[in-house]
Amino acid sequence: MALFETRGLTKRFLGVTAVDAVDLTVEAGELVSLIGPNGSGKTTLFNCVTGYLAPDEGRVTFQGRDVTGVAAHRIARLGIGRTFQLVSVFPRLSALENLLTFLQQHQEESLVGRLVRAPRVRRLEAAAVERARSLLDSVGLGGRAEAPAGTLSYGQRKLLAFAAALMPDPDLLLLDEPAAAVNPTMIEQMKAQIRALHRQGKTVLLVEHNMDVVMDISQRVIVLDHGQKIAEGPPEVVRRDPKVVEAYFGR
Amino acid sequence: MRATRWVLGSAALVAVPWIAAAVVPGQQRYVLHVLIFTALYGALALSYDLVVGHVGSLSLAHPAFFGLGAYTLALLATEARWPFAIALPASIALAAVVALAVGVPMFRLTEHSFAMGTLGFAIVTQVVATNWVDFTHGPLCVTGIPKPQVGALRIATLPAFYWMGLGALALVALLYRGLTTFRLGRAFHAVRDNETLAAAASIDPLRYRMLAFVIGGAVAGGIGALYVSYVGVLCPGELTVSLSVNLLVMVFLGGVGSLRGVLVGAAAFTALPEILRMAPTWRMVIYGLLLLVIVIRAPDGLEGLMRRASSRGRRPSASGA
Amino acid sequence: MSDLLEQLVHGLTLGSLYAMVATGLALMFGVVRLINFAHGEFYMLGGYAFWYAYVELGLPYPVAGLAAVAAMAVFGLAYERAVIRTILARTWHVQLIATLATSITLTNLAIIVFGTQPKEVPTRLSAAILDVGGVRMAWQRVLVLVAAIAIFAALEWFVAHARLGKAMRAMSQNREACAVVGVDVQQVALATFGISAGLAAAAAALVSPLFSIFPDVGALLTLKAFAAVIVGGFGYVRGAIAAAFLIGIAESLAAGYLSYAYKDAIAFVVMVAVLLVRPQGLFGRRIGI
Repeated sequence: MALFETRGLTKRFLGVTAVDAVDLTVEAGELVSLIGPNGSGKTTLFNCVTGYLAPDEGRVTFQGRDVTGVAAHRIARLGIGRTFQLVSVFPRLSALENLLTFLQQHQEESLVGRLVRAPRVRRLEAAAVERARSLLDSVGLGGRAEAPAGTLSYGQRKLLAFAAALMPDPDLLLLDEPAAAVNPTMIEQMKAQIRALHRQGKTVLLVEHNMDVVMDISQRVIVLDHGQKIAEGPPEVVRRDPKVVEAYFGR
Repeated sequence: MRATRWVLGSAALVAVPWIAAAVVPGQQRYVLHVLIFTALYGALALSYDLVVGHVGSLSLAHPAFFGLGAYTLALLATEARWPFAIALPASIALAAVVALAVGVPMFRLTEHSFAMGTLGFAIVTQVVATNWVDFTHGPLCVTGIPKPQVGALRIATLPAFYWMGLGALALVALLYRGLTTFRLGRAFHAVRDNETLAAAASIDPLRYRMLAFVIGGAVAGGIGALYVSYVGVLCPGELTVSLSVNLLVMVFLGGVGSLRGVLVGAAAFTALPEILRMAPTWRMVIYGLLLLVIVIRAPDGLEGLMRRASSRGRRPSASGA
Repeated sequence: MSDLLEQLVHGLTLGSLYAMVATGLALMFGVVRLINFAHGEFYMLGGYAFWYAYVELGLPYPVAGLAAVAAMAVFGLAYERAVIRTILARTWHVQLIATLATSITLTNLAIIVFGTQPKEVPTRLSAAILDVGGVRMAWQRVLVLVAAIAIFAALEWFVAHARLGKAMRAMSQNREACAVVGVDVQQVALATFGISAGLAAAAAALVSPLFSIFPDVGALLTLKAFAAVIVGGFGYVRGAIAAAFLIGIAESLAAGYLSYAYKDAIAFVVMVAVLLVRPQGLFGRRIGI
């Protein structure tokens, strides 16, 4: 059974079919890239499977359960983590607090417990702080743990968002253009981080425009054009597929 | 060291009626009256700041919850002759239930529509309070609201009301602190600052907005009940839209999202006009202009100014010493 | 039956009033994406300007009306410059609070300057009664409806054919593109406020002979006009007009057949009902005015 699957996923906006009956499968431990020219529906698909948009047709399955149309906060709770195309952090919270925010809902305790700061909650919080610090160190932000996220550079915020998504140890990680709008050094750092995740056995599905990154790290590539899946396979095979070439360079 | 400051400060606050009697003997009653109002408005402003400042929902429904709590206690005490110890929780509970009922549909709306929807609810409440004369007495007002009595304890003198107000404020401040710090505070602020990302962090925005809204509304209802117990009379004019404006001024003048700031704002707002003895219309003109200037120039309010002043004051000594 | 028809006529008058005020609100939101809580005060001040010109200065009705419109148009320009421009880049919280604050200031200044006693401005038309098959109405009501329709028609033409009007429509659809293409965004914003304020003043000049002018009149009016804008679909002028008439007629019928006391609540009941069932407004999410 595949870890994550969409069947016939369709989303329409005002007469335009942004995602057209897309079938997609990701097995546990895979590193898959989703590519396609601008407007091919990649981010819309992400938003449909992470609960930000309700699909018009089709089904989304995760770990065997139907998660079609489930609200975003519950999808996250089920173990699907994501980053956003336009880097998104909590600007007024420190880098550390940003990460803590991502873990707290996964640590089961009651509302009242939180209000009175029961000892159990304090212990969970301490454990969370430890995990957060080590994650920040692993992305190189250890020294900026107390800095408000709004004061970090764009690249640093991207790394922060990446670390935050990893905080609750998600079973599936969806990365929306991790290599976009950052300098080449940062891109290499991102690639290394994603490769490290893959080695740890994490499942990653990423949307990406940067072909070097895609070809370099992906096990499998899925190509969308005008909302439809037009090709799928190992990177070297897909890059030579005539349909893919046509989609990118026009007729 | 800090603990001693706390104990001394609390003792001083409790001792105010005697201090006032000693320092301003002729004016003691007036001073206590102003302080009672300040305490109640402070608590009300804190309950509003929960919704506006910490979870970021610009609700204009607060006067309605204040009024609901006030009318519930007023009518239960005068018509049904319920004792205060039962009428007060009933007022709080009713306000909470209505907040829940109103919040569910309201939070489906986007920002502007939410503000308008809550405003619409506040106006409907006001219209009903003014016109359902058979029930609420309308403009004839509910009169003869009895002084609170819990068992042998009767709150009838000004000092007694002052301690009641102070106690209520302390309770609300404690609740406010608990809700806006640590994990709950983080969840609220996450929803306020980046709702989309909050959802990606498994935080249900609706749940936390509702929580703040219902708690804020319940507290407002409780303050309303205490308010009418003190004043003894309740007219529909108490829950007009101007109360929303007053609360906005208090919160933004003082410092939205800050305990100290909101309390300072409430104190300034309540005490200042009393000190200046302004005519009500001129007062509102000043408040309008003040609110306009503050929200544009100093959105952090007095709290922001105080913080900037204290950090500037500290820096030279850090480098000098 | 004539009773019902008279209520409907009254509803059309109310609808015309709400529609004229709501149009200004919808234009401002459509063009500069800003909620102006002080819009009702444009009506209130326009009403006082009209009263001053007509009663105090003794100008003939049409001249007094136009003078009020001109005065408020200038006020609208000044208001845009002084308040709106400063808050355009800020969050909607700031905009709402800032305009709410302005509303409070203006209302209370009006109380200080003019007093709380309502000003009556009867005209020949508000006294003369027209009888159509048993249905009695003041001629003024006919004027209100006819003038409102004429104004809306003129506005339609303006937005479709006049250079400034087309720029306003373009800005309401895509502001960034307009700036790129060379439209003077600030000038269009300025003009929009002038027109909105002028519209409110025209409404005041037409309607105040039937009702009266008092400092608080703006508050409820702003809210009901908002209700119309929300029900019609934010920023969609035609929707706001239709919704305004719906609200006006509903209010009049409710006042006549349900309860006069609760009539003011009707607009909000309608608004909340629509928001719950169809949050995007009766006509759906439209782009542009």
